Amino acid sequence: MTGITALGLPEARRNEAAALFRARGVPHRRIEDWKYSDLKSALGEGGIGAAVAQWQILHQPDGVELFDLTQSNPPEWVLANFARTTANTMSAASLALSKGGVALRVPKGVCITNPLKLDFTAAGHVRALLVLEDGASLTLVEGVGPGHFRNVGFEFVLGEASVLEHVRVSPDAGEAVLVEEMSVRIGAGGQYRAHFAAFGSKLSRMEVEITLAGAGAQAHLSGVALLDGKRHSDVTTHVIHAVGNTHSTQLFKHVAGGNSRAVYQGKVTVAQGANGSDSNQSAKALLLGENAEADLKPELEIFADDVKCAHGAAVGDLDAESLFYLRARGIPEAEARGLLLHAFLEDAVAEISNTDQRELVRTELLTALKAMA
Amino acid sequence: MLDIKNLHVAVGGKEILKGLTLSLQPGQVHAIMGPNGSGKSTLSYVLAGRAGYDITEGSITYNGEDLSALKPEERAAKGVFLAMQYPVEIPGVTTMTFLKTALNAQRRARGEPDLDAIGVLKLVRAKAKTLNVSEEMLKRPLNVGFSGGEKKRLEILQMAVFEPKLAILDETDSGLDIDALRLVAEGVNALRDPSRAMLVITHYQRLLDYIVPDRIHVLAGGRIVAEGGKELALELEAKGYEHIVKVPA
Repeated sequence: MTGITALGLPEARRNEAAALFRARGVPHRRIEDWKYSDLKSALGEGGIGAAVAQWQILHQPDGVELFDLTQSNPPEWVLANFARTTANTMSAASLALSKGGVALRVPKGVCITNPLKLDFTAAGHVRALLVLEDGASLTLVEGVGPGHFRNVGFEFVLGEASVLEHVRVSPDAGEAVLVEEMSVRIGAGGQYRAHFAAFGSKLSRMEVEITLAGAGAQAHLSGVALLDGKRHSDVTTHVIHAVGNTHSTQLFKHVAGGNSRAVYQGKVTVAQGANGSDSNQSAKALLLGENAEADLKPELEIFADDVKCAHGAAVGDLDAESLFYLRARGIPEAEARGLLLHAFLEDAVAEISNTDQRELVRTELLTALKAMA
Repeated sequence: MLDIKNLHVAVGGKEILKGLTLSLQPGQVHAIMGPNGSGKSTLSYVLAGRAGYDITEGSITYNGEDLSALKPEERAAKGVFLAMQYPVEIPGVTTMTFLKTALNAQRRARGEPDLDAIGVLKLVRAKAKTLNVSEEMLKRPLNVGFSGGEKKRLEILQMAVFEPKLAILDETDSGLDIDALRLVAEGVNALRDPSRAMLVITHYQRLLDYIVPDRIHVLAGGRIVAEGGKELALELEAKGYEHIVKVPA
């Protein structure tokens, strides 16, 4: 292997990523996948720049190994897993441009109970890699700090029978433009459980591509978005059932008020021969005003015969009858609305298995609901 | 306590109540009977303050105050309670949380201190027992998966917990079998009180065998067309509405 850069990345792969990004350019609304999230216009003249965003470990539990990607001589587990070929435009950009990042590993069979807390901050591009070896388990709490334009490329490699719970809370980031591309590969019997809570920004987009690569692999995604003002939040998922007997669920609940826009695009692909795949996808949105917008686009692509796939999406507004019922019992209108919105979001929040994190997300939602009332 | 004078109410531009007059004193139980489409539910909704029910003429005075000027939550805090015909299901809010939130909202509006979780629990448990409302029901999301009887029992439990001054029972008997009906009626009777007035709205005489009213008003075509004592219910049951009511065109 020649030409290893400071990022532990073969020069050829970096060039390949750069070429891909150059060919496509900054995504804009005329590209189908980016129809509801016009990155090019949100960035304006400044473009994507070439700055280096920061990562910060707030809590590193014992047993988690860390390698700073700016260091030389990356260990074998980094070389083997980092920067797999990607077809994702913005992920290619972060690969091509990033001069910093972090790689983390939980070794084989190690179960970590204390959550690992990782924040991304500042403007620019940054890469991250998390490897859970066979039988390992971890809770990852990802924080989204300030930064005008940030592009995070995050790779996850889950070994056989490993378990990762990933909770990402993205607070109201005002005028910031934030994109993140996650690529998750799950081995046989492995389990990835993720919850994304978003309060939006000028443009916020999170793309998750999950490959269920071994029999018995599972992915359970859930998320809430609570948007007001001119906030935008886009969750774009692609779950690939590459082999049979794999299981995925998705439950997303979005509330959009003011002039905000909530986007969910979810594609589930069941590959040829992936019989016995089971997938369930549900996205619902509540609109709180005439100027709020929700775009929900669930999509199924099935190449196998014997599969169980369900998907559904619904956009509505707050139920007038429920609101009247609560008010007729003495609950003031603003409080009643808050209660109903919280109730609407609750089943997605209940998907978080870590009790502390679940309470944390609940509290964040309640605070935001109060502010919206 | 409640004075309704020449009340005209339109829903979606269509006049439903056409000059209803009714007066209710503390301690009294009055029944409103009437055929389908006579305006019974409109009356209950307009008293509770539901949006979309426009008073075009007449007045509703409650303890000397113009009731129509108050929001639904203000009416509740001042002691108006409507037991609904179709209680709504609210997934994501447990019954207990709902009861606590509502009770404390009413108390706050009256300038009373909040009851803490333990205080509410004790209060609710004591009342729940007599109405055969189980602990398990209180833990479930509000009305979700409740049977018709359970929903109506929960309405009466709310009435017991909130202790309203004016209770309006809208078709509380609908969808109940005889055992459930008896249980609900017993719950209502236990709440009869010299300081409390009740308006029992029903299509059938059956409920009035259990909740015996002081006075019966027959509503048809948006007006009270007949009034009388409890014996009027029996007459309606025997002869039907058409015999007594000359339904105005």
